[in-house]
Amino acid sequence: MPQMGVSVAEGTLVEWRKQRGDWVEADETICEISTDKIDTEVPSPASGRLIEVLVQVGVTVDVGTTLARIATDARPGEPHRSENDPPAAPPVAALATPPAASADDGPPAPAAAPAARGSAARRYSPVVQRIADEHNVDLDEVEGTGRDGRVQKKDVLSHVQARGGGRAPAPAQATEPTMHIESPYRPGAGAPSSGPYVAPEGRPLSRMRQSIGEHMKRSQETAATCTTWIEVDVSRIEIARRQLGITALPLIARCTIGALVEHPLLNAWLEGETHTVHEQVNLGIAVALGEDGLIVPVVRGAQDLSPEGLSRRIRDLARRARARQLSPDDVRGATFTITNPGQFGSMMATPVISQPQVAILDVEAIIKRPVVVTDTFGEDAIAIRPMVILGLSWDHRALDGAQAARFLATLKKRVESYEA
Amino acid sequence: MSEMTYLRAISDGLRTEMRDDERVLLMGEDIGVYGGAFKVTDGFIEEFGADRVMDTPLAESGIVGTAVGAAVVGLRPVCEMQFADFVSCGFDQIINVAGKMLYRQGLPVNITVRLPSGGGFSGGPFHSQNPEAWFMHSPGLKVVAPSTAEDAKGLIIASIRDPNPVIYMEHKNLYRRVKGEVPEGSYETPFTARVAREGDDLVVITYGAMVHTALEATADLDGASIMVLDLRSLVPLDEEAILGAVHHCSKVVVVDEANYTCAAGAQVSALIAERGFEDLDGPVLRVASPDVPIPFSPPLEAAVLPSVERVREACRQLLEY
Repeated sequence: MPQMGVSVAEGTLVEWRKQRGDWVEADETICEISTDKIDTEVPSPASGRLIEVLVQVGVTVDVGTTLARIATDARPGEPHRSENDPPAAPPVAALATPPAASADDGPPAPAAAPAARGSAARRYSPVVQRIADEHNVDLDEVEGTGRDGRVQKKDVLSHVQARGGGRAPAPAQATEPTMHIESPYRPGAGAPSSGPYVAPEGRPLSRMRQSIGEHMKRSQETAATCTTWIEVDVSRIEIARRQLGITALPLIARCTIGALVEHPLLNAWLEGETHTVHEQVNLGIAVALGEDGLIVPVVRGAQDLSPEGLSRRIRDLARRARARQLSPDDVRGATFTITNPGQFGSMMATPVISQPQVAILDVEAIIKRPVVVTDTFGEDAIAIRPMVILGLSWDHRALDGAQAARFLATLKKRVESYEA
Repeated sequence: MSEMTYLRAISDGLRTEMRDDERVLLMGEDIGVYGGAFKVTDGFIEEFGADRVMDTPLAESGIVGTAVGAAVVGLRPVCEMQFADFVSCGFDQIINVAGKMLYRQGLPVNITVRLPSGGGFSGGPFHSQNPEAWFMHSPGLKVVAPSTAEDAKGLIIASIRDPNPVIYMEHKNLYRRVKGEVPEGSYETPFTARVAREGDDLVVITYGAMVHTALEATADLDGASIMVLDLRSLVPLDEEAILGAVHHCSKVVVVDEANYTCAAGAQVSALIAERGFEDLDGPVLRVASPDVPIPFSPPLEAAVLPSVERVREACRQLLEY
């Protein structure tokens, strides 16, 4: 009799839909019952042949009472072995108990028999297992009186008593110190291994990493690289960015391009003794390719583009870079490069110049800081402003610190006075 | 020996200790001239005077804070919170000052804070709570909760004498409902559990008013032999008694009148899971109030507080397991 709600204690059998000898599929309705809460159909817990009806129509029984037995090793359409051999108890799934895994006990598969009867099919509470261990009791021999035939403590105890003693129960364990006086932690169990460190196997560097490494190493061996930083208030960029619905990068790029036009010495190549100063700005933008590396596609003629135009071009190049769809021309001919790893929150870096260019601009994270500002009356005040540190690595062979500093000052002025 | 109510037993304990020890004084709202909201201190001001039975302003933080100061200079104050619910106003003084004074400065704070607690009489959400677990969680405090008249007297005396801050939970619903033989004179009830009834098949572990609920629920339960363990002290928790009962019975129902989550019974269950696992013959079942405020409405309150029927149902479920 299944439990139909917490408070329901009993149910009445209304009708048997299957009769003894009928084949029944799992979940097929086998009978109807009525409780003081509901009337309902009872699904079969397993597929098999109904071999025994234990509760007749009209009888009221307690929840948990077995209503019928189903032979689960029968085949549809075949007479069951038990019909020829009544004394042998067939494996059965009792209705109103969870269907238990059951295997053939017959002679063809003797090895399977212990497994089917063994502990895998039954579960025991900690105290039952402990008592069974203490008294060397095979729990399979103990009949359970608990719910669904579970072996209770009292069952195993009466089994021990009936058998006549066995080993005496172990004395109660010495109590451990209590938690609120001493931690139960005992060192030793999870101590770090003291053996020598065994490194995992190494693997060859990817093509892209090799290429980046070779290029960067050559730049450091070739150029006399210096880095100069300047801190810039990007309040106006932040406002414009929101108005235009774009990121800060194309706006800072736009200011950088303006500063490059004013200071063309930084928009240049140095190849051996050949110094080429460009009028056109071909702006390289470093694009990270996840764990693989990075690539620097180029926005050609960037001096002619608006911030929105720059934004579109940068987005398009970045998308194609990540999709590995750049053509060789997309990555050639840069006259100046911007890198912006600041999205991860880093504050300063010393970027390596992409040869044969003479400078590279590093844009770091925009962070709100308290800064001293001067109002229109010349009064100083502390204000919260979005600030960024711009780092310029430049080649001391092609220019000097003063030119780099002047370029950064121009860039700062353009950023801080930016009008959308 | 004489028979008296739980409430009279508390009064008797306070009076006995005040007569024996002039360092003992009482503080609280309306405890003097009016004799206390529940008349625990009725007649005290006439016997001991207003210096030792102090009517205080409606300021629990001030009551406990003053008591802490008095204890530090050697007195033994007993503070009455008019209802346990109002102790939250004195929380900082209890938790951060009284509870940690010995640890920080080496000064014992010998105060007792009486908390008339519990529901069952349509007191509503501000007059029915069981806040003992708040204090169990905070180191430096002891928490006791008598269920009988004899223990009510013995534990109030033991609390006053204990050098630590003691939170004394007195259940309002037991005040006049529970009567018992109480020894004359002075005696201390130890901060340990008490077997309220012996039994073998299952143990109900509880304290306070729920001891009576548990006894009633299991007095005649399908012939089963059911032990009832009355914890009496929540801090320190009598772990040996709990584990001993679990070892003996192997099936455990833990009952709290307090809200379910992190109640005293949750600690008991956790202890059993950690150290009584090999003695268990079924899941540890808990019966407690759901995590809701206590309703005013009598039928709603009856539905929220653990009833005899709910305890019986839990026991039955576990006995059949």
